[in-house]
Amino acid sequence: MPQIQVSELCKTFRVPEREGGLRAALGSVFRRKFKNVVAVDRVNFSVEAGEIVGFLGPNGAGKTTTLKMLSGLLHPTGGVADVMGHVPWKREASYLQRISMLMGQRTQLNWDLPAMDSFLVHAAIYQLEEAPFQETLNELVELLELGPLLKKQVRTLSLGERMKCELCSALLHRPAVLFLDEPTIGVDITMQARIRKFIGEYNRRFGATIILTSHYMADVTALCRRIILIDHGKILFDGPLPELSARLAPYKVVTIDLTRDLEGFDFGPYGELTSRQERKLTLRMPKDTVAAATGRLLAELPVLDLSISDPPIEDVIERMYHESRERANAAQPAQQTTAAGAAT
Amino acid sequence: MPTLLRVEIANMLQYRAEIALWAAWGIVSPAVLMSVWTAAASASKNPGHIGSLSTGEMLAYFLMTMIVGHLCTAWDIYEMGWRVRTGRLSPELLRPILPIWEAFAANTAYKLVTMIMLVPIWGVIALIVRPTFHTTPRDAGLAGAALMMAWLLNFVWGYAIGCLAFFFTKMDSVGELWFGASLFFGGRMAPIELLPKQLRVISDLLPFRWIMAYPSELLAGQLTPSRAASGLLWQMGWLVVGIVVFRLMWTAGLKRYSAVGA
Repeated sequence: MPQIQVSELCKTFRVPEREGGLRAALGSVFRRKFKNVVAVDRVNFSVEAGEIVGFLGPNGAGKTTTLKMLSGLLHPTGGVADVMGHVPWKREASYLQRISMLMGQRTQLNWDLPAMDSFLVHAAIYQLEEAPFQETLNELVELLELGPLLKKQVRTLSLGERMKCELCSALLHRPAVLFLDEPTIGVDITMQARIRKFIGEYNRRFGATIILTSHYMADVTALCRRIILIDHGKILFDGPLPELSARLAPYKVVTIDLTRDLEGFDFGPYGELTSRQERKLTLRMPKDTVAAATGRLLAELPVLDLSISDPPIEDVIERMYHESRERANAAQPAQQTTAAGAAT
Repeated sequence: MPTLLRVEIANMLQYRAEIALWAAWGIVSPAVLMSVWTAAASASKNPGHIGSLSTGEMLAYFLMTMIVGHLCTAWDIYEMGWRVRTGRLSPELLRPILPIWEAFAANTAYKLVTMIMLVPIWGVIALIVRPTFHTTPRDAGLAGAALMMAWLLNFVWGYAIGCLAFFFTKMDSVGELWFGASLFFGGRMAPIELLPKQLRVISDLLPFRWIMAYPSELLAGQLTPSRAASGLLWQMGWLVVGIVVFRLMWTAGLKRYSAVGA
């Protein structure tokens, strides 16, 4: 049985709306207008225990809203969710004790005190016994190299240092389900890699189920075998990452270095020329023609070096969003937002 | 709770000067009112008296409002407005404990930390103004319970009203309204005894009197035995209502919470 089961989950926000300027501001005093914004639109998915799922989408796609509903922060407008036998938004203590949500842009630590004080409060709130708490803490401190940071006031930590402390705090009670919302946002590449490695390690060691949102594809490709793509509140794709590439990008990227310039040469018979930097060219070729076309390239042109790769996953995902937006634009705009009319 | 309290005390000690200034501010208003009412009493038709209260009794009453006001202070109406508006409530909601307990720990820590500074100041003021107390051992016995109830009343009602933040978002004006009402109906500006009859009736029916005036009058020994005992019952009643209102507001508010921000 899946550990997380989401069915027809919806969330609509009612937000005030007005034109800019004094006249509109005065008008809104007497007649406020609201707009219903559909943030999550009948979403369905399930996650098995121990899976790491990448939840991807552009800003405002509905991914954080979905995580907030699953962690019990938000009540949905419709639909149901079951996480380890609990309805998240009932916010039972027994549920909250088994999950954790890390929000990259929101601190859970006490800003004015050393991180260690926040960890002690965490242990008290989650009623962790002294010995297991110390054991987990020591383990996390070692894995995340937190030793020198424990006594420093949280507000004096760098963003990367703070994120490591946030991770430690989120994992002290060893949650079975972890919602990670942009865990590497704003931190440098080295720290991103370290945090990524740690998340993978935590998943392996404790069998935790993880749903991760990130704008960094490196996070997703390193950690998630499965991704869920969401845009305008709707799921566009749910499956293994390679399947997405295969479905949306039935082509390969061939990069060649030439020994001399071939100005004005027509590469059309080999593939689609997508970029040219002096003697370095990039061609896009249908997968089924790659073998023959590269053979001809090597035989017919002055090629110094040649490499074949899959298209970048960012391009694949961008293409999916693009297609989704084109479909949305073709449909009625009212399906996305519905004017609710005047209210108090 | 002890760990929460310890950490909140550490938090308060981090900004000692600010906490000390907040605590000192609580002395200013009753001290000014002491001098205003003393001047009014000396200029009254019956010099040295206002209504049925002598100057010494008036001073005892305002000295007690200074102490009760500090022991009962709560700021969650403003705090909740800020937490809901900025989404700062979200991390607290993720924990398996109601955020009200963390707020209560912070409130308790503030009282404990500031008492060290305030008790000597209260003593010095008492020595200077020489108030007149009629406190009986029975009053003193009830005072502990009345003070505890007054603290819980103001805290629970403040938090319950603070839950309006889920609906109104900005709560500063609601906080000011609550504080303004407590100035008059709680007996902070003038003893309830001196209010016009209609206002006295209204103050009896609102929670403010039982938060401020009742424990102050009890500590100053200005209540009849029956009034002293019935006051505790009023406090208990308002506390029960406050807890029910909090539970209803909290449950309804969480359904409205939009968890703004990341």
